[in-house]
Amino acid sequence: MKILAFGKIVELLGKTELELDNMPNTDILLGFLQQQYPELKNMKFSLAVNKKQVTGNTEIPQGAEVALLPPFSGG
Amino acid sequence: MEKKRTPKNIFVEGAISPEKIAKSIANHSSKTDIGGHSIFLGQVRADQKEDGIVKAIEYTAYEDMALQQAYEIREAVFSKYPLSCMHIYHSLGEVKTGEICLFVFTSSKHRKAAIDACEELVERIKKELPIWGKEILDNESSEWKVNT
Repeated sequence: MKILAFGKIVELLGKTELELDNMPNTDILLGFLQQQYPELKNMKFSLAVNKKQVTGNTEIPQGAEVALLPPFSGG
Repeated sequence: MEKKRTPKNIFVEGAISPEKIAKSIANHSSKTDIGGHSIFLGQVRADQKEDGIVKAIEYTAYEDMALQQAYEIREAVFSKYPLSCMHIYHSLGEVKTGEICLFVFTSSKHRKAAIDACEELVERIKKELPIWGKEILDNESSEWKVNT
């Protein structure tokens, strides 16, 4: 699956994209990311799976695009 | 005879020019059933921050998702208000203080629908579109914009 970072999270990860496998749901993905990037624990962000924002633990389909979205600040 | 709408690109590279806004207004002169337009223009403000003064905002977006969301907002607002026209433009990349970064334009037979729809659109755009502003300060440092 493809993980996309946006806004402040790009700076934290040092890149805009990650390629990961074997992440069946968003809880497992978040656990992994927080272990790799401990600073994520102190950040407010939401997730989108295949361009739809999700809340709570959500299944991640094969080959999905998961985005890490800090609070929006357009306008 | 409902017109089928498809996702439109709302993004403009850099600032939205006053000429573009003027032209957009002029384009409506042939639509003589319109009786009122409402326009919102977002302008980059020179906020005083702890580390300096804002001199520009650099916008980035999750473009695919933003366009899909904008399409859904557009459809919802079109079905809620009797509008003739609706246009949404948002900047990407750098916009300097004093320049326009958001242009929302609604038109209808009577003013109330245009005004209410315009306000609702602006609120929803700021809250629901995956767009981020990074404030560039005059000492070249930067911080991420927070919407209030």
